[in-house]
Amino acid sequence: MNAIEVQGLGKAFGSRRVLVGIDLVVPAGQLLGLVGPNGAGKSTLLRSWIGLCRRDRGRVQVLGRDPAVESLAIRRRTCYLPGETGVYHQMTGAEFLAFAHGFYRSHRHDLLERLLGAFDLPLQQRVRSYSAGMKQKLALLATLVPDVDLYLLDEPDRALDASVRCVLRDALLELKAAGKSIVLSSHHLSELETIADRLEFLFAGRFVDATALQAARARLRHRLRLRLLDGTTLPAGARILGHEPDGTWIVEADGEPLDLLRSLPAAHLRAAEVGVVRLEDLYQVLEQTVPTATPGSAT
Amino acid sequence: MIAGKTWRELRVMALVYLAILELLTVPVILLWPDIYADLQRSTLLRNMGVDWLKRIGEGVSNRDEDVAYLNWIAVMLFFRSANLVGLAAAVLLGTGLFARERESHTFEFLLARPVSRTSILWQKSWPTALCLLVPLFLANLSALYWSARIDLHIPVDRLLWATVHAAAFTLCFLAATTWMSVRCRVQAHVAFVIGGFTILQIGIYLTQRWRVASLFRLADFEWYAPILTGNLTPAQMFDPIHERGFTTWILLATVVFYLLAWRELRRAEP
Repeated sequence: MNAIEVQGLGKAFGSRRVLVGIDLVVPAGQLLGLVGPNGAGKSTLLRSWIGLCRRDRGRVQVLGRDPAVESLAIRRRTCYLPGETGVYHQMTGAEFLAFAHGFYRSHRHDLLERLLGAFDLPLQQRVRSYSAGMKQKLALLATLVPDVDLYLLDEPDRALDASVRCVLRDALLELKAAGKSIVLSSHHLSELETIADRLEFLFAGRFVDATALQAARARLRHRLRLRLLDGTTLPAGARILGHEPDGTWIVEADGEPLDLLRSLPAAHLRAAEVGVVRLEDLYQVLEQTVPTATPGSAT
Repeated sequence: MIAGKTWRELRVMALVYLAILELLTVPVILLWPDIYADLQRSTLLRNMGVDWLKRIGEGVSNRDEDVAYLNWIAVMLFFRSANLVGLAAAVLLGTGLFARERESHTFEFLLARPVSRTSILWQKSWPTALCLLVPLFLANLSALYWSARIDLHIPVDRLLWATVHAAAFTLCFLAATTWMSVRCRVQAHVAFVIGGFTILQIGIYLTQRWRVASLFRLADFEWYAPILTGNLTPAQMFDPIHERGFTTWILLATVVFYLLAWRELRRAEP
């Protein structure tokens, strides 16, 4: 059985097309990573699955039900973490958790205990005194602990430091091991790749097809980031794409990037990064290669 | 769940509202004997140029002190229960119901819970209505006790019916405010719309020529005085055909505003 089935999903806000003919199947028990730049339509896509926003066209089935008709039945079996942290500032952390968990029948108490230990939140204090990261941890506790079939997480790693992101990763893997379906959007590509069964790139309201993505990744494998001693000249076959404020050059090699690296005098090389696909680079390449939705053409 | 949260958010405001109502009740009643004596000596109120003020003046300076006192209570209900403190409370309690959720980014969190939007509206509305109405009834009924302290008597049933009318009027404003709270994304906008409308209505009411078009005509001295003096029965209050049977219409308007809020919430997107 599939947790989510989407065919030809379209959504526009006025004349701005946000989702354009989205097709997607998420089998039950799968962890799907959604990646895309800001405004690509990730949040709207997640919201449309639990009936928070109405679709203009297409067919959607979540846990075997249509969110336009049976959103309440879907929400009973789904936990959704909004992209903007929504916690009640006038409540204490404990009051907020009791409130948020009270809507669901069963909970994963073992996970709650573990996350509470790892997050170290002052639950007796009012939420208004929490930092952004603490609020996000609280929102995660509210979302991950109810025992449901599907978890939809819109940027769950926002405002979290690296160690807490590791805790989050372990919690998600635990839920996945328990057979839960998870869809999460994130801007941390490398971390998402380590846990997701599958990644989908959403770009200007459409999913990027696998061929275009593969081509973009192949192109990025020729990209290097180099920090060189002042006055060092780049060898032939290296094209400068730009430079960063710390003096790092972004270079594209015509041939093998390692050959280019070898051709540089070792004494002139202070730092180098080869073969790392950075999300900002990927967006840049996709922007040049993937056709975008035309504003004003929504029907 | 949501009802409990709403109560926790509003309980302090409800207590402050009750305290203000009570503080406005006690001196108005305890000072009555002196006021009545002054009114008997002065003809100022009875000779006011403005018709509705003149009628108030004539009512509260009636030769029969019992009748004059009931008219005085009607004035108190007019200025305090519904039209001033009651409306201010309705706007204060109602503006934040949904607009504040949007401002603090909890609206999406709330809508994503496994609870219907119909239930969300209901669980937010009834505790708010209770926070508005219970203090109103308590403060008005306390007038029975304070009246006994100055050896005067208010018929309980008539006071209750007058309070029911005041409650319907404030509830109608609360429903309208709730509707605006669902519509607007910012709490200040709700307050601006409802506050602006109320001030406009006060302006119309105070203008002799346009007064008949003001909503405050539905809950003013000329409403409460007949109820308290026994000249308008509950059957007439609730008879929509009767020329003064506006209580039913006010309650119907309340239901319409509630349904508008419900329709708006069902269509709302975060």
